[in-house]
Amino acid sequence: MWLIKKAHVVDPAQGIDGICDVLFDEFILAVGQDLNGEDFLDSSHRLSVIEADGKYLFPGLIDVHAHLREPGREDKEDITSGAKAAVRGGFTTVLAMANTQPVIDNRGLVEYVMSRGEQAQGARVLPVAAVTMDLKGDALVNMAELHKAGAVAFSDDGRGVQRAQTMLLALQYAQLTGCPLISHCEDESLAKGGCMRRGFRSARLGLTGIPAAAESVMAARDILLAQENGGKLHLAHLSTAAAVAALRWGKQQGIDVTGEVNPHHLIFSDDDIGLTQTCLKVNPPLPSAEDRGVLLTALVDGTIDMLATDHAPHTWEEKARPFPEAPFGINGFETALAAVWMSLVEPGKLSVSQLVRAWSLNPARRFGLAGGSLHVDKPADIVLFDPKHTETIGQDVWLSKSTNTPYWDKEMHGFPTAVWVGGSLRDAALRDAAVRDAAIQDAAIQDAAIQQTGRERPSC
Amino acid sequence: MDVNTESWQHKDLLGIAQLSPWDIARIFETAVSMKEILNRPIKKLPTLRGKSVAMLFYEASTRTRVSFETAVKTLGADVGSFSVSTSSVNKGESLLDTAKTLDAMKFDLIVIRHTSSGASEFLAQNLRAGVINAGDGQHEHPTQALLDAFTLCEKFGVLGTKHLQEPAYPDRLLTGRKIVIVGDILHSRVARSNALCLQRLGAQVTFVGPPTLLPPEMACWNVGISHDLDAGLDGADAVMALRLQLERQKSGLFPSVREYAELYGLTLDRLRRSGREPLLLHPGPMNRGVEVDSELADSLYSVIEEQVTNGLAVRMALIYLMSAPL
Amino acid sequence: MDIGATKKQILNEDGIQRAIARIAHEIVEQNAGVADLVLVGIHRRGVPLAGRILAAVAEIEGVRVPMGVLDITYYRDDLSTISGNVLPVIRETAVRFPIDDKIVVLVDDVLYTGRTIRAALDALMDIGRPKKIQLAALVDRGHRELPIQADFVGRVLPTSCRETVSVCLREIDNRDEVVLSIET
Repeated sequence: MWLIKKAHVVDPAQGIDGICDVLFDEFILAVGQDLNGEDFLDSSHRLSVIEADGKYLFPGLIDVHAHLREPGREDKEDITSGAKAAVRGGFTTVLAMANTQPVIDNRGLVEYVMSRGEQAQGARVLPVAAVTMDLKGDALVNMAELHKAGAVAFSDDGRGVQRAQTMLLALQYAQLTGCPLISHCEDESLAKGGCMRRGFRSARLGLTGIPAAAESVMAARDILLAQENGGKLHLAHLSTAAAVAALRWGKQQGIDVTGEVNPHHLIFSDDDIGLTQTCLKVNPPLPSAEDRGVLLTALVDGTIDMLATDHAPHTWEEKARPFPEAPFGINGFETALAAVWMSLVEPGKLSVSQLVRAWSLNPARRFGLAGGSLHVDKPADIVLFDPKHTETIGQDVWLSKSTNTPYWDKEMHGFPTAVWVGGSLRDAALRDAAVRDAAIQDAAIQDAAIQQTGRERPSC
Repeated sequence: MDVNTESWQHKDLLGIAQLSPWDIARIFETAVSMKEILNRPIKKLPTLRGKSVAMLFYEASTRTRVSFETAVKTLGADVGSFSVSTSSVNKGESLLDTAKTLDAMKFDLIVIRHTSSGASEFLAQNLRAGVINAGDGQHEHPTQALLDAFTLCEKFGVLGTKHLQEPAYPDRLLTGRKIVIVGDILHSRVARSNALCLQRLGAQVTFVGPPTLLPPEMACWNVGISHDLDAGLDGADAVMALRLQLERQKSGLFPSVREYAELYGLTLDRLRRSGREPLLLHPGPMNRGVEVDSELADSLYSVIEEQVTNGLAVRMALIYLMSAPL
Repeated sequence: MDIGATKKQILNEDGIQRAIARIAHEIVEQNAGVADLVLVGIHRRGVPLAGRILAAVAEIEGVRVPMGVLDITYYRDDLSTISGNVLPVIRETAVRFPIDDKIVVLVDDVLYTGRTIRAALDALMDIGRPKKIQLAALVDRGHRELPIQADFVGRVLPTSCRETVSVCLREIDNRDEVVLSIET
């Protein structure tokens, strides 16, 4: 049992944003002023008390958009390394996209992802199943069956569903499951061959441009399709002003649509791209500086509901190619929170409360997940966050198998120093000395108890 | 600094973007003396004896490659050639590994042509050897732009010592000159490098082409933009036709070669009507009857063959300048 | 006068003029006239010197012989050791007449190690095949590193390697003098 004292607790679900104490074991037991842990203690638990002045405590972040690459590309990432990297970055739940090799389009693979996720002892890993078999944009997957097996959403992410009729049917049929359908929003006929946002910068560099319309026409199409037939629509990685306008319109019309934005689309723009910076090659491409401003405004005013990393690991060899030949994607888990903290929260563009709402509460609500708040009796998915903790991003602090991040070798600050998933402290994220000492002491006492009683130590 | 010396600070030549007008003048000045050597009975110098230059061509190109090879040989250096069809680049070896192999073979310079924009910059960051960009995707083709500008300066009579050295205002070499570039601007590295190079020497540049091949974002070059060839040609001192990749028609970028030739093909008549009898340039190879009418290509307006000779001289100058250790 | 160096004038304007006149006489005398004679000045100060010798020869013989200019940079043997920061500027090479079977008189200001002349000889050979090549220098300061000697010398000047011989000519330096300076 843990009692975290005097942390700055931020829980938008309960309107908490101030200094107080949090007590939890596997579940949240109490949140309030001057809590006395002894009141809750029973014989089976020991109480560890942590003084957390100057630190934040919030519900674990939920990343609704990640590529864990397993099965198929375990050279880039696997579920274990991904789940650990995620928890190190402050995420207690991640949604794993279906575009693996083979594609997560059958029950066996959904169950595989679930069970590998449980073994990983990192963040909770929840599968997103494909919309269509093998991402071909044709036959629908067995949505009801896959949902029952554990899929929390459906998406052909990595490719947009090109045919409108397929998307219409998918939105309709997915209503059986109550799960959102995540649209990748990319018209291939417009995006084909491109490697960065079409504009002055692409013209200057001689890189084939992807017009903003490649995203916005499909975002608008899918919103209209959802209006036609209902269904829960979620727009992935929004990067254009026009798609945001479509989302805003959709919400005004009462259509059940939400949207996410990736940190890199809020922090970088196409002006930052140089011909050898393949770490900034990402799909959808980095926005114009103007669109970047629109995205931030939309996140702050709630039009865009949530943040998501679009964690997309790639090998060094694949990124060590000329820009047009390198794959799209940024490795996000371990830097996203610090990046948003430094670029948006510290300059006052985004409040901590807005950050937690967009990265924990809203994702939990939209995808029907357990976390997202510190309500009593909820699972204790908790992040203790030190805004001053500084790390230089490099191999000795890194857990992901890939290193394709623009922050490599850069010093960052604002990291989780301890993360609990269901009340279990995760080694992968443990940076806080006091918490570590408490955990070691706890283990030592338990070991002693085992020696005394001769009983097996209960596994966590 | 000694009046006899000027600094040359570039390990690599990746694009015109990195060159100052003074750098360009330095190249031209050296190219003038190289051109004299090309007119000698014995076209061979001992200058770079013992140096070696690798040609790494990922894109078919006979002219540029032969021009570079001849330049290297004339300067007395040795040349090694690697092309897509004959080397391990077909066996899945990465560009980086191929280039590192060349580095290990102790080449002093590597001339690269590649279909990807930025390929030469990527190599330059990873290699000890100097890198010369002989065309990377749609990004830059600096030696073509240099030879084009050199040809124009020569024709306009501004290449003498008094222009290049003593008053030392190379940024005004082409001041008051209007140069038109016509064709598939969007996909052209030649257009990009020329826009930079000609503007750096003071010229006024106008792009001409259909809206699909000259989209609005090309305004980033701060050049004149026109979709009407005759309007664009008005008062031009020179016009450069770009090669039209005929396969672009299949992508729907223009409806037919016939319509393209009618709207954007250069003819003798068109040039005469433009007012100042402009010089005709073409980077080659030329689609006669498409970009340029045959009659015009063989007329006195055309400086296409001189471009080829000047290409050799300019490349010799560059290789000479880049062979000196920094 | 520069601090840290002592300077001594070796030739003044008249001295240079007399040396040139003598060289011109010797060229005409040794070659029994000016038939097949051409002059080639080596950049930079060999060029104005060759011009003056040409004028002096014309005064004697009443004939202006052909004259060319030569930049020997491309033939230097030390190019690979020169850094890009101080790469010499290439000047014009213009020998606009055939030199095959001609008597070429190379003209330079100071003859020192002989390496410049070696380069000039190679350059000339690439331009044609002269019958004979002779060398005229305003000052011969010794310390040859190659088996090369001048045919016509204005002034033989024994020097030490620490000394510098500077030839100033009106056409380039706005004054005529030859100065010997030594680092102190």
